[in-house]
Amino acid sequence: MNNDDVPADKPRGTSGPLLPILNQPSTRRTALKVAGAALGLAAFGQAISPLWSIPENISVDEFLQRHYKELSDDDKQRIFRRLEAETKQELGIEVTIFDPPPIPGVRFGYAINLSKCNGNGKCMEACNKENNHHRGVDQSYIRVLEMPKGSMDMEQGNTTYDHAVPQDDKFYMPVQCQQCENPPCVSACPVEATWREDDGIVVVDYNWCIGCRYCEAACPYHARRFNWEEPEIPADEVNPNQGYLSNRIRPQGTMEKCHFCLHRTREGRLPACLEACPTGARVFGDLNDPESDINWVLKNKRVFVLKEELGTRPNFFYFFDS
Amino acid sequence: MSSTRTDSVNPTRSYPHFLWWGLGEATNGGILFYVWMFVLTAISLVGANAWANQVAQGMIVTGMTDHVSWGLYIANFTFCVGLAAGGVMMVIPAYLYDDEEMHKVVIIGEAVAIAAIVMSTLSVVVDLGRPDRFWHLLPIIGRVNWPMSMLTWDVIVLNGYLLINLHIVGYLLYMRFLGRKPNPAWYVPFVFLSIIWAISIHTVTAFLYCGLGGRPFWNTALLAPRFLASAFVSGPAFIILVMRVLRITTGYSAPPGPARTLIQIIRVAMTINLIMLASELFTLFYAGGAHAASAQYLFFGSHGHHGLVPWIWTAIVCNLVGTVLFFMPAALERGGIRIAACVLCIVGIWIEKGMGLIIPGFIPSTLHEIVEYTPSLVEWKVTAGIWAFGFLLLTVLLKLIAKVFAGDHVTG
Amino acid sequence: MRVPGEIAMTRRRRRRRSVVVGLLVCATAAGWYAGSASRGAGQVDAQSSKQSTANTRDVQRTVENSPSSMRRFAVSIRKPEGPPRVITGLTDLHGNPVTAACSTCHSTRKPNSTNRTAQDLNEFHGNLKISHGAISCLSCHNGEDYDALKLADGRRLEFTEVMTLCAQCHGPQMKAYEHGAHGGMTGHWDLSRGPQVKNNCVDCHNPHAPQFPKMQPTFKPKDRFLEPPRTAH
Repeated sequence: MNNDDVPADKPRGTSGPLLPILNQPSTRRTALKVAGAALGLAAFGQAISPLWSIPENISVDEFLQRHYKELSDDDKQRIFRRLEAETKQELGIEVTIFDPPPIPGVRFGYAINLSKCNGNGKCMEACNKENNHHRGVDQSYIRVLEMPKGSMDMEQGNTTYDHAVPQDDKFYMPVQCQQCENPPCVSACPVEATWREDDGIVVVDYNWCIGCRYCEAACPYHARRFNWEEPEIPADEVNPNQGYLSNRIRPQGTMEKCHFCLHRTREGRLPACLEACPTGARVFGDLNDPESDINWVLKNKRVFVLKEELGTRPNFFYFFDS
Repeated sequence: MSSTRTDSVNPTRSYPHFLWWGLGEATNGGILFYVWMFVLTAISLVGANAWANQVAQGMIVTGMTDHVSWGLYIANFTFCVGLAAGGVMMVIPAYLYDDEEMHKVVIIGEAVAIAAIVMSTLSVVVDLGRPDRFWHLLPIIGRVNWPMSMLTWDVIVLNGYLLINLHIVGYLLYMRFLGRKPNPAWYVPFVFLSIIWAISIHTVTAFLYCGLGGRPFWNTALLAPRFLASAFVSGPAFIILVMRVLRITTGYSAPPGPARTLIQIIRVAMTINLIMLASELFTLFYAGGAHAASAQYLFFGSHGHHGLVPWIWTAIVCNLVGTVLFFMPAALERGGIRIAACVLCIVGIWIEKGMGLIIPGFIPSTLHEIVEYTPSLVEWKVTAGIWAFGFLLLTVLLKLIAKVFAGDHVTG
Repeated sequence: MRVPGEIAMTRRRRRRRSVVVGLLVCATAAGWYAGSASRGAGQVDAQSSKQSTANTRDVQRTVENSPSSMRRFAVSIRKPEGPPRVITGLTDLHGNPVTAACSTCHSTRKPNSTNRTAQDLNEFHGNLKISHGAISCLSCHNGEDYDALKLADGRRLEFTEVMTLCAQCHGPQMKAYEHGAHGGMTGHWDLSRGPQVKNNCVDCHNPHAPQFPKMQPTFKPKDRFLEPPRTAH
């Protein structure tokens, strides 16, 4: 290379052709530059080649889909049918995707009796099955902490215990989304992909979330889960009863969270984790109904909420017997 | 004067024309220059490839988990924002105190700011699980959660800062290229805006973390001042290194004044930074309790986990030694001490703001579980790619600046 | 032959290109339009649809709440099948175990109201684990009719109604049970939409040793960071 021999800076503006790069002194240098640029571009194309699979997986409709709140009923129906067809195509099974609206006048509350909970983890298992969680990591929206009696310090807790429960010197505290009245995750989301519905359930639009995980950083209860990879569920284990904002199979790279099984609870049914609890530690109901089970607990038991000092105002309560 | 000559020769050179010319000029150089550009391009491509794999396979290829949900990318992002904000430490003396010598080199600070902003934006983009939905972040076509979300604020202020600096640098260079005297009305207001804006980008970035009540380690009012103080060390230190490299490679020699001013700034800023760090640590450790859990893990390890301990002590040592070196009289002269001090402080602050601040915010988790984090190879590759691309951009910008300024000297 | 083919090809190519360009233009325009114009429209749509559902729901609600036509589904409690049968240890000709009613043996034996523990039972039930306070067998079992239970006031009670017996002592638990705060259940929380089935006391508690048994957790999230599995915190 004798680049240095070439006078690099010929006085500019002497001829003023259309493309100044052609104005440069050495055609050889220019040719090398063009070749270098072409080579660089080709290499770049090669480098990002794993991305070429994306257009196969994401249709134009999906790419251009608007935020949930901007969709008309027709749009939604079209989207639900598309998602059903995609599941049919990928897993060969029929699923129904629907979108039950909040029941007017209802505000959901949940309470757990810590005297009863024995940490057996059936709630986590039920959550995993009901909500079409990724089986590879046995994902669940619930984590159960084993805590030493005599302390409420979660620092002393342990989620990975694997022995007969309950241990005499321990108590057990399941934690899931607290469905806060003042949810920090909702404030954090830069694109309004998560919001609080009228019945108090905080939901995620899985097709709007950009996967920045700011909500996960903001949540004080470790309630949010990220789809680090494409969730895998055996076709025969898929729950075909799927809510658009709840348990439909989530796309890779998006956030998800407990939604109080809204595809069940908005139909009047109990959440899956409550039905699965063998100890009867879980109480669910309408906070606006003075006769509801949950209100009986609030009136007759001494309840507390987690991290009350943060001002998140959870709709999820804990209590002890007597 | 040269201005009239250039004007008369070519009075209608358009701005795109200038950019195209600049691209041509900025890619001219000797063999070392091409080797440098080739290496940077190669590293960038490795990063691009690693990122493409991450997008295709999912972020499972990173070391992040639901417990430590932000990692090297956001750590690097925080540092780069600081670097960008630090550029303003040349602008303030130049424009607020009318430092003549600083005025001549202030454009270097602005170029560093541009490259650093691009790097921080890239750091956020690679952290997204769904980069294909990036448009959701854009006003009007997307749906922005403004003013509630601090991340929305960050996107706005970062892009605003990029545009302001692109305008200032572009305008000043273009005018020089045309041989005209820049019209202050077209850039001075933007310069003052950029001063306020530089402070805002780093403040908003700090608010991103310190606004989260659920993360006690971040939830401190000192975070924004600390960020600013450390930015006013890392930014000027980086610029001093850049000026040194320019002197060696292009012969574009800055007068000694600006570097000295920058070192005075660093001395003050680093002292303030260390004082704030110390008072933060005092509050955490003297009171103890749950708030100190992260600091305990970071500095001494906790429950048998020590992943970040070597990192933070490296940072502390780098920062302390760097500070001492900066305070030595020899630091005011061109020499090894100054360079060593700059390098040490940059490394120290990179760790202190990243691996030493972002990561321990997640350890222990909000349920007080300790899950450690080590960046995966993919994350290192992508981060290296971002830095390489930043340097590529900075090289082109500096090359252009040197060319335009040198051209002026030749003709003038 | 060749020429028309070529023309067709270029045409096709051109068409394809124009389609691509058209798509791009449309996409940009659609994005813009959807962002500005249809945002308003979408909101109106969503609102009106919400209103309509709200109306129907409200109508339903008022209908449900009017006392005359209030339709509430039942809360049913699972019941034991009847008096338990004792496994004799014998098998019949088909190999099925032979069971006997309690009264088969007890009709010929005199009830002993002082028996409290398994050790007291020197003939049968010796391996029965009894851990239920200081009560005697006949506190609950009916000495006059072993196929039934007995309330504290001496009244006879069918085995299917066992919860009445439990509630005599476990009032607070029964009260919590009545309000859904004790005992598992399935079905509906909203009884205007469907029934609810609740567990019986003896579904979860063995009457002779009522403390809830220990369990082995069967399901643990396989967090990535747990490989190799983390033993302690």
